[in-house]
Amino acid sequence: MTTVISTRGLVKRFGRTIALDGLDFGVQAGEIHGFLGPNGAGKSTTIRILLGLARASEGEATLFGRDPWTDAAELHRRVAYVPGDVALWPNFTGGEAIDLLTRLRGGMTDKGAYRERKERLLEVFQLDPRKKGRAYSKGNRQKVALVAAFATPAELYVLDEPTSGLDPLMEQVFNREIDRVARNGATVLLSSHILSEVEALCDRVTIIRAGKVVESGTLAQLRHLTRTEIAFVHDPAREADVAAIPNAHDLVIDEGRVRFTVDSDAVAGVLPDLGRLDVQGLTVSPPSLEDLFLRHYGDELAPVEAEAQA
Amino acid sequence: MTLLLALLRQRLRRDRLQLALWIVGTGLLAFAAVSAVSDTLADEQDRREILGVAIATRTILVFRGTPNGIEDGAFAFFLLFAWLSLMGGLMSTFLAVRHTRMDEEQGRTELVAATPAARILPTVATVVHGVLANVVLGLAVALAWIALGLDVAGSLVTGAALAATGIAFLAFGLFAAQLFRTSRGANGLSVAFVLAAYLLRGVGDAAGTPSEDLLHLTPAWPSWLSPIGYGQFTGAFAENDLRPLLLPLAFGIVVIALVFVLQSVRDQGASLLPGRAGRATAGPTLSSSFGLAWRLNTSSLLAWTVGGIVTGLLATSLSSVVNQLAGETPQVAEILRSAVGGDATIEQAFVATFYGVVGILAACCAVQVGIRARQEEAHGTAEQVLATRVPRVRWLLEYWLVGIIVIVTVLAVAGLSGLLGAARSDDPETMMTDVIQAAAAQLPACLVFLGLTLLVFVFAPRATVPLGWALVGAAAVVGTFGPILQMPAWVVDLSPFAHSPVPAGDDTDWSGGFWMLAIGLAAGAAAVWSMRRRELASGG
Repeated sequence: MTTVISTRGLVKRFGRTIALDGLDFGVQAGEIHGFLGPNGAGKSTTIRILLGLARASEGEATLFGRDPWTDAAELHRRVAYVPGDVALWPNFTGGEAIDLLTRLRGGMTDKGAYRERKERLLEVFQLDPRKKGRAYSKGNRQKVALVAAFATPAELYVLDEPTSGLDPLMEQVFNREIDRVARNGATVLLSSHILSEVEALCDRVTIIRAGKVVESGTLAQLRHLTRTEIAFVHDPAREADVAAIPNAHDLVIDEGRVRFTVDSDAVAGVLPDLGRLDVQGLTVSPPSLEDLFLRHYGDELAPVEAEAQA
Repeated sequence: MTLLLALLRQRLRRDRLQLALWIVGTGLLAFAAVSAVSDTLADEQDRREILGVAIATRTILVFRGTPNGIEDGAFAFFLLFAWLSLMGGLMSTFLAVRHTRMDEEQGRTELVAATPAARILPTVATVVHGVLANVVLGLAVALAWIALGLDVAGSLVTGAALAATGIAFLAFGLFAAQLFRTSRGANGLSVAFVLAAYLLRGVGDAAGTPSEDLLHLTPAWPSWLSPIGYGQFTGAFAENDLRPLLLPLAFGIVVIALVFVLQSVRDQGASLLPGRAGRATAGPTLSSSFGLAWRLNTSSLLAWTVGGIVTGLLATSLSSVVNQLAGETPQVAEILRSAVGGDATIEQAFVATFYGVVGILAACCAVQVGIRARQEEAHGTAEQVLATRVPRVRWLLEYWLVGIIVIVTVLAVAGLSGLLGAARSDDPETMMTDVIQAAAAQLPACLVFLGLTLLVFVFAPRATVPLGWALVGAAAVVGTFGPILQMPAWVVDLSPFAHSPVPAGDDTDWSGGFWMLAIGLAAGAAAVWSMRRRELASGG
């Protein structure tokens, strides 16, 4: 398997601020790789270095085995990019912006095929290409960038929080497009701060915080890091049985509800007990990235937050 | 009432720098121009001659006003009022659109409309804010002239006329904001309206009927169509008649009433004219990054080119008038010669001063190309272009090329329009050579500013916009007014414009031009080359 993205000891400083602090991670060909972290963790900075828009202060980054800073234009033939905060030319229409970006990427060689792909994408994303850039909402600007990215086949798709302005229906459309390009063998780097979004799509995940990788692996490997919250209506008569549920952590009985957490890979083991208890109003909440951070790095997070506020 | 005051305070707070600059700038212009006139044209005979020439040839009247005698105040009013109204008009329409359509377009109005302030009160606050701004503007000019010792009643009438015309323009700006969905559209129509008002009264003055002593003039009917025309009908410092101001004020009240009617029946964010759907696919220009850079600069190129055409036309069509004037009033000849230096004839000196202005226009257009590159970068669109196959160096190189093209275009078009006037002069052949030389002589200085702006863009990106304008603005003032204002020679020499060659037939000294050509090309090339090591600097 070939490596598409690789960074070693990547450091990026802006004056005295350290945005990346020795970042190591890799993405293999054909994989959908989730790039997770809270806001300000360094996701966009990493992506900008990988695209040769910014230069690493220290360390090494390679894209298809080459230096993204010196070989930027060459490498970009193989890349499609959707920025986190899509800016459009205010006086060009969405359709003009899509065509322009496609031509700049060299995707107009087969005009007929391109037009077909574009029409299909405009249809599925329900985007009106005749509006001026300044008239689009955030979600629609994002759709313009997504249509431009998907309208020309690429080997690598770099998507920086691509669904942050999309509604749930459009997220489904987006997921289908990602599946489609992945089936065609493309590699996808998908940055996000929402774990569930990444869970639905990604083979592997890298989690960064404060410019460093804190976890990296397949979702199954990360599953052990997460706990699922289970809650149901409290019946005071069964309190003893509740307390006896194996593997339950952080048990709280509060405002008439019982809440506890179990390791995400042990949820199935708890279900028979819940059935015997005949629980009412059961909710099972998947772990959020924030929970994961709070649970595993809560003690480290406190000083970081204090620093950020200082 | 508390709500209205809160909205008004927010407007004053938001505009405090911008309005202060407009008002203080206009006041200073009124002050400086009048004090300069009373120095250089203190002699009654000189004024008599200038009015005579203006009335005889008419072209000057378009850019000045209605001659109304040679008395200090009336002469100042003739020279300046139309121009001051133009400034006040632009201030008012920009203000009107900024606080209505621009807020609405950017979603801020929605935030405010959801509070008890609702939909109409913010517009009321904008009306009050705009009227206040115009009253203060009128007072500033009146006080400036009173401070210079002009007649108090006349100065106050001037201020009142300025405020009244400004309020008419304010109303039109608010109306345009109701018409269009974008602030760009509303500002475009408003600026066109203000310029049309200025030109209509200009035509009215130029086509007016002079008195027998050639010191007074009754404007023709086009002036009756322009708010600025009514401001001039007050005859400040002579008749001091305030009644004509009732018309622009009535126009303002009727239009503002209409604005409230329109706004009370339309949805938030909607407009009288529906937004047009644009094209669904890109045209052939947008097929390369060079085409993109060109497209992004065409509208500013058009604006500067129109300025170049007008300046070029004036350069040659007015030169015979000035030649005559200079024969009679020696100090005019002196001012012209000292401004350009060299051994030029009066006509050559006059053509050179006008093409000096064309050079400044072309340099500004070039600076704007560099600034556009920075805007693309700060806005985030450059990031998407550079994430395609476009290399950084080529990206900036293309902006440099576009910059060179716009300079050549502005100079060439201004040169062509000058040739039209030269063809009708006494000695067409000599003057045509002068025009071609004078236009070409501006190229090197423009290239210097293009190169400097690109260097600033590469090495101090966040300073591109302020520093780019500051450099060309300071150099323009020093280079063109330095000699007249008797600045030290070394200060004047700092300005590239001071080194632009002056046409003098076969004796033209081109050396300064060659030096600047080398410097300008070297600066541009260094900026483009340095892009190899330059990161994208977004935001800020």
